[in-house]
Formats: sequence, structure tokens, C-alpha cells
Amino acid sequence: MTADGPTDTATNVAAVIVTYNRADKLGTVLDHVLAQERAPQQVIVVDNASTDDTAKVLAAYADRPTVSIERLAENTGGAGGFSRGMALAYERGADFVWIMDDDCYADPTALGELLDGHAAAEKSMGMRLPYACSVVRWTDGDICEMNNPEPTWDWGKLLVRGQSSVLVNSCSFVSVLFPRWVLGEFGLPLAEYFIWFDDQEYTRRITKAGPGIQCLNSTVTHDLGVNRGVNFGDVNPGNMWKFEYGVRNEASYRWHHEDPFAAMRFAQRLYRGLKAGRVSRRLRLRLARKFLEGVRFDPKPSFPRTVL
Amino acid sequence: MSVPPATAGSGLTYDVVDPPAWLSGLSVREARLLDGALTFHCLVRPGQRVRATVLRPVEPDFPALTDETTSSIEWPDGRATVGSVLACATGVPTRDDVVPTDVVVDLGAAQVGYHLRGGGTEVSRLGTVRHAVRARVPVAFDALRQRRTDHIENRRASRPIPCTPRPVGGGAGARRGTRPAVLFGLHWLELGGAESWAMETVAMAREAGLLPIVVTDRPSGHPDIDRPAFDGALVIPLTTPMAEEHESRLLAELFTRFDIRGVHVHHCTWLYQRLPWIRTQYPDTQMVDSLHVLEWRTGGFVDIAVRLSDVMDEHHVISPQLRDYLVDRHGLPKEKVTLATLADLTVESRHDTAPDEPVPHAVTTPATPDRPLTIAFVGRFTQQKRPYLFLRLADRLHARFGDRVRFVMQGDGELGDEVRIDRDRLGLGEFVELRDSTRSVADTLAEADVLVLSSDNEGVTLTSFEADAHNVLVLSSDVGSQASVVAEELLCPRPPLAFLRAAEERLARLAEDPALAARLASKQHTRMQAFAALPRARDWTRSLYERWAS
Repeated sequence: MTADGPTDTATNVAAVIVTYNRADKLGTVLDHVLAQERAPQQVIVVDNASTDDTAKVLAAYADRPTVSIERLAENTGGAGGFSRGMALAYERGADFVWIMDDDCYADPTALGELLDGHAAAEKSMGMRLPYACSVVRWTDGDICEMNNPEPTWDWGKLLVRGQSSVLVNSCSFVSVLFPRWVLGEFGLPLAEYFIWFDDQEYTRRITKAGPGIQCLNSTVTHDLGVNRGVNFGDVNPGNMWKFEYGVRNEASYRWHHEDPFAAMRFAQRLYRGLKAGRVSRRLRLRLARKFLEGVRFDPKPSFPRTVL
Repeated sequence: MSVPPATAGSGLTYDVVDPPAWLSGLSVREARLLDGALTFHCLVRPGQRVRATVLRPVEPDFPALTDETTSSIEWPDGRATVGSVLACATGVPTRDDVVPTDVVVDLGAAQVGYHLRGGGTEVSRLGTVRHAVRARVPVAFDALRQRRTDHIENRRASRPIPCTPRPVGGGAGARRGTRPAVLFGLHWLELGGAESWAMETVAMAREAGLLPIVVTDRPSGHPDIDRPAFDGALVIPLTTPMAEEHESRLLAELFTRFDIRGVHVHHCTWLYQRLPWIRTQYPDTQMVDSLHVLEWRTGGFVDIAVRLSDVMDEHHVISPQLRDYLVDRHGLPKEKVTLATLADLTVESRHDTAPDEPVPHAVTTPATPDRPLTIAFVGRFTQQKRPYLFLRLADRLHARFGDRVRFVMQGDGELGDEVRIDRDRLGLGEFVELRDSTRSVADTLAEADVLVLSSDNEGVTLTSFEADAHNVLVLSSDVGSQASVVAEELLCPRPPLAFLRAAEERLARLAEDPALAARLASKQHTRMQAFAALPRARDWTRSLYERWAS
């Protein structure tokens, strides 16, 4: 790591982990964060009112000086948890906020590479860049299909300049680093989304300031059960609740933040996916209602307070 | 009697020829103002004798010390002549056979009526209407005012602030004096948080072995010029507009006569706007400023600092909000912005208390007529502080709790008459005690359970620290960096109706629930501790001046 720039130890980095009933994996996640070569100054764990042994797992970290636990009274979803955790990090004076899910295992150099990559990219681009995300692997070492960032049209610009980063338009909330100014200027993720598409909405929102980057040397493992991206053909009664949030949120985003045609294209993609997956008419109808709900659903971002 | 008493300029920048006896009859304030005026007039006319006719107003009015009117030997009615004095700049041969240059210096009054504020001597018709509306329907007036603030703020925030590039190729060979000095720019020499801090820095510069040279640029009677902080300082209270050629001559003479190592701007537009010239002519001069509050609608000194940032070396900010504004919002280099707080300026506080130590608090039982919840307002009676909101809040709480709550308002200011009339109109004469600023704030806080800050804008209020030191809870509008020192539950929205609703609901809960008061006191104290743990402005400044002096 370089001695100057944001990677020096004077830079206050807050890691934010949002968890809900993942007692079996949370300890591993925390161990990987605490074992970073460039350790974060704060580790904020937002417990979304877990009902399993999460509290017992967290109790083992209570005496760690950098770890603080924010237990919420109710489950606010990933979106609400990230929003709360990022607000806390901001209030506590973090210069950077590094966020991840509760099943993400960061390799030892993941944070350092993000900080270095971000600083180098800003210098090369001559502008402030709103985020840097890691390469997300699945447990077998292959790319994790759910967490692929969308590249920009000129994604290779930094590569040809000798850097190990590519430019991206959006990414998921699995190991992504935000500089403080982004939270102050663009606010927090939309807690109202509860789950799904909150990461896409947020990273697309802040990309108005410039592209994000994916640092190819920063790697994490996402411990999902299966390595499969979002596919509407997979809808079934068991996972329907999640798809309902996803359809409502994406419809809202496309309609209110892009344009009605984008929303229609999403409707078409949704229809085709459901049809190809032979999803039942009853579930299709429920998702259609969620689509319409999304058109009426337009939450506004809240902004963190400066405290320290 | 030889020279004006308690002054620095006499003998340093000018000599008085045959000092007249009347000089000894001047108050310290008047003597120092005259000293500043003679310093100015002699420095801008080196080699000439300056004959100053010295006036004193019959009715309170602002001084006229350096502006263009001082060149005219005609003066307005209502001025008494104090005397005449002849002076000339030191260190320059003076021709005695040439008729002296005449100037007329009006020493003004220490306290000038609020109706004269704003630079004019007459209140405009629009201002009269505005005051009348505010006096009759203050909440509606304020609601409109806040909406206008939001509108203008949004428009202002959407526009980038143009930056002045750092000058290059300046006069590196300019002649410099030998006595190390620091040039300060202040708003005025009267009461205010920024001014208190500025005065302390002047004293610190002197302690570091630097001659403090202080200029101010706002109309004021400068009642605080007689403070010990200005002993031995060269104070030049400017009155504007000055003749253009005098401005550069004044600065050039100061830089020629003294080794001005650095410029420290507190709140002084005039000096800010001359920094590019100073940077060009005296490029090795260090330039810093101290910033206190982000002004609604204009951005105030903070936006001027952004505009001139390339010219300057460092910005000192007293609150995290200002740091974020400069670094995050405007992209100033982080290393150029120093956060150093004034948490200890008015209170040698008890913030060293261990975090887990129980915090004593004033509210121990539900409010009763025998032990009413005492709610205080401490501050100037000005539009910014919105004392009329406090009165409306008192009205609501009194209607709800009767004699289980009592109220104390301490302050003075341009809205003083409106506050008194408003209080009587609301029928609160018996329940809202008014105290003027001659009473000790500590006494008021010792009686209070809750301090209410209803301001529409603040930096970080020093009163909050004083309140915490007295175990008084602070309920505040969520403005500036108040979130840094006030418990989240006691932050209320800025718009007036929302403020009243939230404040009433939270104070009502406090009146009923002492356990809540204990929890909030603990949270408040934790925030104060965290804030107090930030770097201190005194340390930063001492280190800066030591560097400049070395």
C-alpha cells in the first residue's frame, strides 16, 4: 500500500455489515473483516432484529474496540440495514464506508486494494469517483453470477493505463466502498425498498457524479447456496416474497428515475422470464400488481447528519 | 499627557506633534479608535503631516474613521468637536513647511441603536412593513421566510462557486520590516462567538511574540476594543468606502514596516477580498481563516473562503458540518481543512468525565407546581434566534401544563420590544420571566432544566456546552452542527410549525418522564464528550503562531 493518499492509517474507514439470521456465517464474515491487512477503524454490525443465535455470535466480538453493534427493533431488510449502518458510519466521522452482506468473506487485501484502486483511479481520471467494488467469487472460486457490476461503455479506460480496475455503472452491495462525500451529496440507500434493487438504485443514483470502479485485485467470496443470478423464471411460492419486492422496486426505479419506456421494457423482460419459466398465472398476477404498485411507489432518499 | 492612553500605534506607526491635553480625557475605546484612525491616515500619507479634527456624536451613531467622508471638513449635524491633533508617520522625513492634510475623525458611540444596523441610517419602507408583519404574525412570517430560505438555498447550492486562481509571479523581492507580526481581519469588535474566538487569537499571537495588527470592516462602535486582548495590538477599525489608493497604500505600508508572517482572517470581507493582491505582492505570506457558520442564502464567509481557497494555505473550521461542506461538497483538499473546535472556549467543561460515569441531571421527578420544569431561552433577541417561537412554545406548554412549567428568557437585541409586546399579548407575563444580558447566564442555567435553541441557523452554539456543564438538557432546531452536541431525540425541524409541534411533544414527555430526561442527558453528554475529544482550536492556533514566529 502507498504511504500517501487515502490508504494511510489516518483515513477513517467504517465497515458496515448487515445481518439477519445468519448466525452460522456471521462470525466468519467478521473474522475476515477484522483480519484485513488494512484494518477498518470501525466495524458496524447492523443486526436486523435476528431471531437466531446472532446475538450469541456477536457477544464474542463485544470486547473488540473497533466493533460496534446496532441492534434494530425490527427487520428493516437489507436496504434499511445498509441505510442505518451507513448513516451511523457517517455520523461517526468515517471517511470511507465499506459495506457487505452477512455471507461475504473478504480476502485479506480486499479493503486495501479498494482504497488503493480508488485513489489511483481518481488520480488517473482527474475527478472524484463515487465508489469502488470488489470482484465477487462464489465458493468454488468462479465468478458469482448475482454480483456482476454493469460496465460502462469505456470500461477498459483504466486497464489500458496500467491499472487493475474497470469502470462500472452499478454494482451490488457485496464489498463496495463509498467515500464520505457520496453520502452527503446523494444521501443513503432507500430503506423503503426493503430488499432487492436497493443496491442497483443507489449505485446508479451516485453514478451521476461519475463512474464507479471494480478493483480486479480486490476479491471476496459470496457464500450463496447456489450460484445463480436473478431470473424471473425461477419464481415459486417459496421465493415469491423476494421477487415481489424486486419487481416493485425495479418498476419504481425504471418509471421514476429512467422513463416509462424503460419501465415497459422491464415489464416485457419480466413477462418473458415468467413465461419461459412456466410460472403459474396466480404468481404472475401477483407480480403484475407489484409492478403497478411500483409505478405509484417513489420513495425519496434521506441524508445522514454530520455529527463528528 | 503625551499620547492617547493604552494605544499601540503612537510611536510605532505615527508620532503626535505636541500632544494636546484633551487626549487624556478620551475613554480607552475612543483613544484606541483614534489611534487606529491616526495610524491609517498617517500610513496612507507618509511624509505628510495629518491634522485630525476629532468629533463625538451627540446621539449614538457609528464612528467614521477611515472612509472617504473623513477627507471632507464638513460634517453632519449632531457632532461635538473633541479637539484637533497633529500627527505624522514615523520613520519618514516630514516637511513642516507644507500645510498639513486635514481629516475629520468621528469617534462614534460604543452602543449604537439596532435601528441603525444594516449600514443605513434610515429604515426602508419595506423594512418597516416587514417588521410590522413579523410583530403581528411572527410564525406565519417565519414560515414564509424559511420557505424563501429553502428556495434560495436550493438555487445557490446548484451553482458552482467560481474560484480565484492562486497568483503566480508576484513581488518576491518586496521589502519587509523586521518586527514579526500577524495581520488579523475581524468583523467588528463587539459581542459574538466568532469575535470571542478572534479576540483570543489576537492575545495568543502576542503571547507567541508576534505583533497583532487587527483590521475590521463593519460599522460598529467597537465597544470591545478596550478589552485586554487588544493591549499592545495595532488596531485599525476601517470604515468604508475608503479611497481606493489608500487601501493598497495601507497594506503596503504595513508589510513594509512589519514582517507580517501570516494573515488570519476571522470574519472580514474586506481582507478576504484583498488576499489575492497580498498573495501577489507578498507571496510568502501564510494565509489562513477561521470559519464558524454557513450562512443561509449567501453562504457568507464560508463561500468567500471557497472562492479564495486557492489563494489561501489553510482553513480552520470549528464544526464537522463546515469540514464536510468544504471537503465533501466543494472538493477542497482534506489536508487543507482543519477541524478544531471551540468546545472549551466558554466552558472549561466537565467533558473529561468517564463515559460510563452516571451523569447528574436536573429533572428528577415529574414536573409539579412546587417543582416546575424550567425551560430557558438564552441568546440575542434577533431574527436568527427566533425568540417569538420560544414564546409560542411557552404558550402551548403553559396551556397544557399550567404552573407545572415555567419559562425564563434572557437576552437583548433588536427584537427586544417585539418580544415584550408579544409576551404580553399572549398573556404570558406571569409565566415567562424576561432577563436582560446583564444577568449571569450561569445563574439562568443553574435554574433551568431544559435550554431551548430555536435558531434558524447556527454553527455550534457555545451555549450548548455551557448548558451541558450545568446539567441542562438542550433542545435545538436541527441546524448547523447542532447534531454534534444535542441528543438526536431533542433535535427539531427548522420550519416553525414543525419545530413547535416537535418541541412541544418532546418537552411534554420530559415534563412527565424523568427517566427519559436521564437517558437524554446521558446521550447528550456522550455527544458532548465525543465532540470535546476533537482537536481544539487553541492547540491548532498556538502551534500555527509558533510556526509563524519561529
